Amino acid sequence: MQITERRIGQSVILDLAGELTYANRAIFKAAVERSRRGGCRHVIVNLHGVRFLDSSALGTLALLAQSLSAAQIMVSLLNPQSYVKEIITLANLHQILPVYDSEQDALAGGHRLPATG
Amino acid sequence: MAEPAHRIIEQPTADKGTKPAPLILLVDDDEITRLSMAGRLKRLGYRVIEAGDGVAGLNVIRAQRPDLVILDWMMPGMDGPGVCEAIRADPELKSSQVVLMTAHDRPEQIAEGLSRGADDFLSKAASKQEVLARVQASLRSSALVREIERTRDDLDRSHRLLSAKQAELESELQSASDFVRAQLPLPGMPARGLTMQWAYQPSLALGGDLFQAIPWGSETLGLYILDASGHGVAAALRAVELMSFLREENLAKAVGSFDPGAIITEANRRFPLTQDGEYFTLWVGRLHLPSRTLFYATAGHSGAFLHAADRESQWLASASLPLGFDPDITFESASAKLRLRDRVYLLSDGIYEAPSPTGELWGRDRLQATLEGNCNHTLAHCISETMAAAKHWLSGDIFPDDVALLGVEVLDDLASEKETL
Repeated sequence: MQITERRIGQSVILDLAGELTYANRAIFKAAVERSRRGGCRHVIVNLHGVRFLDSSALGTLALLAQSLSAAQIMVSLLNPQSYVKEIITLANLHQILPVYDSEQDALAGGHRLPATG
Repeated sequence: MAEPAHRIIEQPTADKGTKPAPLILLVDDDEITRLSMAGRLKRLGYRVIEAGDGVAGLNVIRAQRPDLVILDWMMPGMDGPGVCEAIRADPELKSSQVVLMTAHDRPEQIAEGLSRGADDFLSKAASKQEVLARVQASLRSSALVREIERTRDDLDRSHRLLSAKQAELESELQSASDFVRAQLPLPGMPARGLTMQWAYQPSLALGGDLFQAIPWGSETLGLYILDASGHGVAAALRAVELMSFLREENLAKAVGSFDPGAIITEANRRFPLTQDGEYFTLWVGRLHLPSRTLFYATAGHSGAFLHAADRESQWLASASLPLGFDPDITFESASAKLRLRDRVYLLSDGIYEAPSPTGELWGRDRLQATLEGNCNHTLAHCISETMAAAKHWLSGDIFPDDVALLGVEVLDDLASEKETL
């Protein structure tokens, strides 16, 4: 899996490509940790290039939502495609992580955070 | 006076802490030539053993494993090339470094010597410098060969140790696997009027999918299937821990009821995400036997399938979070009525997520069709056929994920007198 990090204001967009699974979750967690240390307020996980998500990855996303929420950092999912979207829906992950179809909406969702945080 | 078959000309007196000089075996039936060459080698600082014929030379090689063997070509009995062939044919000796000594160095003779096992040639008329150069070159080769042999022996020892350790670990894994399987229900009749069968195939020796069908009180059958994320030992240990939580006496104490929603709500509180993000999905059912009402709740699990004998079948699941994703939520129970010959299947997602060789998943629809298509067969046959169909789709016997499929069938009209229609 490849991860590209983009900083936009107080948000960081992590563009993921490949498969998010048990095997590469450490790489993903390290990228999130870099964003957290960089002082961002909103981590947007762009899943557009992710073909597959296993159960371990679901747990990793849920864990990040919990731990970053405790640090007043928002986590959002962006643009999951077909099978990945289905997995997220089946696991009801959208109940704890907002899912956006467009980058603008995701960034706007993050802008609302200070007002509600 | 007959000379001994072999004798050491120079016994090394290696200094403390230094390697002894290389040991060279010199085999020649001509005593004068042999003494002359031995003297030259001795003056070059080598330890030398002499042998007067090929057979004696072979005995010395076996006994002393010299670093280098210098053989005369022409000898009575076994000649130099004959000794070479004997050395190469012996697994213990075949890596010996051998130089053939000849009075002539015709190309055809050299070719024959090489083809019969010699490593190099040395002319009896060679200068001191050439003798030194050839012996040193041969000893370098010999040292490399010995190093390779030592490395090979080390690897063999390591391999034997690893194999023994691997066998020990596999034995322990098998014991753990036997223990986990012992937690699973015995096929048969879990309660009056019900029959139950299952198939279970973890992707590794130990799996994270476990299930149970067991009485909870006198009028209730408890049913559950859980899936610990991940595979292997860690997942199996966590699965057994959740299974312990779901024991009847523990539920009575920890939850205070056998309501599936209440059980899952409490489990959600007690089993948070691990530090590695590992978690459970869980489906719990409570079949009230007198009324044949199945109450159920699910935490992120793909759930159960109710194959109704005389009405539309349904999946007994609802969108819900796995355990630990949100510790504050409450899980609610739903219910379904069972009738005679209805079948309830508890299943792990590993069965319908079996991929074909092209990557296409088997899917719930095919699974459902297979279960329905076998409804006129016995429950055991239906489960066996469904597993076979999934493997056929997979084009193999090993599923990439743990697979469990448990079926319960209503055989009798359990309590028609109590049932209110």
